[in-house]
Amino acid sequence: MQPQTTVILDNGASSIKAGLARGPEGDDDDQPKGNSRLVPNAIVRSKGDKTTYFGHQLERCRDYSALHYRLPFEKGYLVDWDAQKAVWDGVFSSEVLNVDTAESSLLITEPYFNLPNIQDVYDQFVFEEYEFHSYHRCTPAATIPFGRLFQTGGPSPPECLVVIDSGFSFTHVVPIINNQIQWYAVKRLDVGGKLLTNQLKELVSYRQWNMMDETYIMNHAKETCCYVSTRFFEDLETCRSNPKKNSIVREYVLPNFSINSHGRVRLPNEELSATDQVLHMENERFTIPELLFRPDDIGLEQSGLAATVAASISLLPHDLRGMFWANIGLIGGSTNFPGFYERLSSELLSLTPVEYDLQIYRSEDAMTEAYRSAFAFANDPAFPTHVVTREEYLEVGSNASRRKFPGWQSSSAPGDAEISKITQESMTEDRGQPSRKPSRPRVRTITAPGRRR
Amino acid sequence: MAPKRAREQAPRHVNATKQTLAPDIITKRTKRHLEELERSNYTEPSITLDDDGEGAISGKNRVRQIVSDKRYLNDPNAKKKKSSMKVRTALLYRKNLATLIEESRIAHLPCHVPTYLTAAAPPPHLPPRLLCSVCGYKGAYKCKKCAMPYCDMNCESVHAETRCERRVI
Repeated sequence: MQPQTTVILDNGASSIKAGLARGPEGDDDDQPKGNSRLVPNAIVRSKGDKTTYFGHQLERCRDYSALHYRLPFEKGYLVDWDAQKAVWDGVFSSEVLNVDTAESSLLITEPYFNLPNIQDVYDQFVFEEYEFHSYHRCTPAATIPFGRLFQTGGPSPPECLVVIDSGFSFTHVVPIINNQIQWYAVKRLDVGGKLLTNQLKELVSYRQWNMMDETYIMNHAKETCCYVSTRFFEDLETCRSNPKKNSIVREYVLPNFSINSHGRVRLPNEELSATDQVLHMENERFTIPELLFRPDDIGLEQSGLAATVAASISLLPHDLRGMFWANIGLIGGSTNFPGFYERLSSELLSLTPVEYDLQIYRSEDAMTEAYRSAFAFANDPAFPTHVVTREEYLEVGSNASRRKFPGWQSSSAPGDAEISKITQESMTEDRGQPSRKPSRPRVRTITAPGRRR
Repeated sequence: MAPKRAREQAPRHVNATKQTLAPDIITKRTKRHLEELERSNYTEPSITLDDDGEGAISGKNRVRQIVSDKRYLNDPNAKKKKSSMKVRTALLYRKNLATLIEESRIAHLPCHVPTYLTAAAPPPHLPPRLLCSVCGYKGAYKCKKCAMPYCDMNCESVHAETRCERRVI
């Protein structure tokens, strides 16, 4: 008997998106439908108030200066289980989800190309430590077909789609055919929110204030000030021509932790008190997110995001490529930069073969898009068929999840019988339903109900 | 102090004669910079997280401390469940990613199986742009000593005073 409650953990390297799904017709009194709790995935030590905060407790912290972070993830992979358990204990406790793990099912996300030896430890913690009744482990992109990211393109998600997941540790381009990730074409760009924040910290510390220990503040500065430029060199010229007084420069007022605990952008003509310290955000505003599109600016020998998308699609079956170009979806916190969508569209458009249309879908809230899709997946009537139960685990150990969860290990290269079968099917279907491809204008500006920036 | 100074001086002398740094040193410098950008904290303090009251005990015969064990959520008297052997092992012995990749043996899988190692984005098609390492503007010139780009004489002098060769390994 499958339990009614499914715990959903979108277990990101920076934040965990957690919530409960109570089945298709379950009542969601305590948890508004699809709403998640955002829990920092870290153990944080504050120098100011000499306290250690575990995960969700960080919201109690009042002094965000010189926070020392202990992150369970290294380069996007879960390595510090001690720290992770400390955070998870908090998430399952009455302070956050208040859930009896033994009476629940679990849907947890894992990084792309998670290592098999790390996957075994996931199994061990889920069944041996928390004793979940059953669980399913998959990557964030794998949940997207269940969500609403591509809803505007039609009533059901397209058979072929590409998910661009730009998170904290890295950015992945993930093509999916009929809910199956095409692992041979998944590409990774080693630029994520962490690298961008660290680079901003470094630039600012070299040019203005020493902010090397102020990860929290600089992350906030990045989120409030940075944008992706569509005219990089023009913007550089603007910043150069009239430093401190141009349309790009922003004055970020640093927090002082007595009156204000968060930094803010100075409003035009706003009076500042004599003690306020100001950080001038000039070309840092756009040279930082620029690294997603030009990683070689810091010497990282990888193609930019647009070229990576093109490289990934070029590995897919030839006759399906048009469908991928027409169904590109953006998830992950680092896609939230203003101008990200515009820049990616313009760069991708020049890479899209002339015979195909380009369409990019974006989310209202890219950070929790995978969570909301996972929520829909957990409420799907077919979800219980995807889980491994504790009995199965106790019987055959991690082999149970190796057999059940479609991972990159069981993936096949293009040309395999199975793929070509799908190809055949999709082709015939595609001919029957031409609506799968967007019509006329090559880029449609009507996109997902995203925020217009 | 004296020997350390001598060591710092030595590469300068070499550079003065060789003009620019060897490409492999620049590669190393870039690699180190990229590794720095992966760090969670700039200063890795010697303090551990459990030094709140009892003080961190250093030394070899210190019992391994687990932070997740030390907190009693809500109910301090709650019966603590004994973790299984495998879970204890994972909690106690942290391995870094490089070790885990090694142990997972993904490098030895047949070449048609995609893995973390093969999934990296391809190298760029375009030649790298030169951006001033001081102000971020287009950098038309490279430092004679350390090959970092700069844009004008003003930035060159800032670079020479503050950063030149600092990153050199």
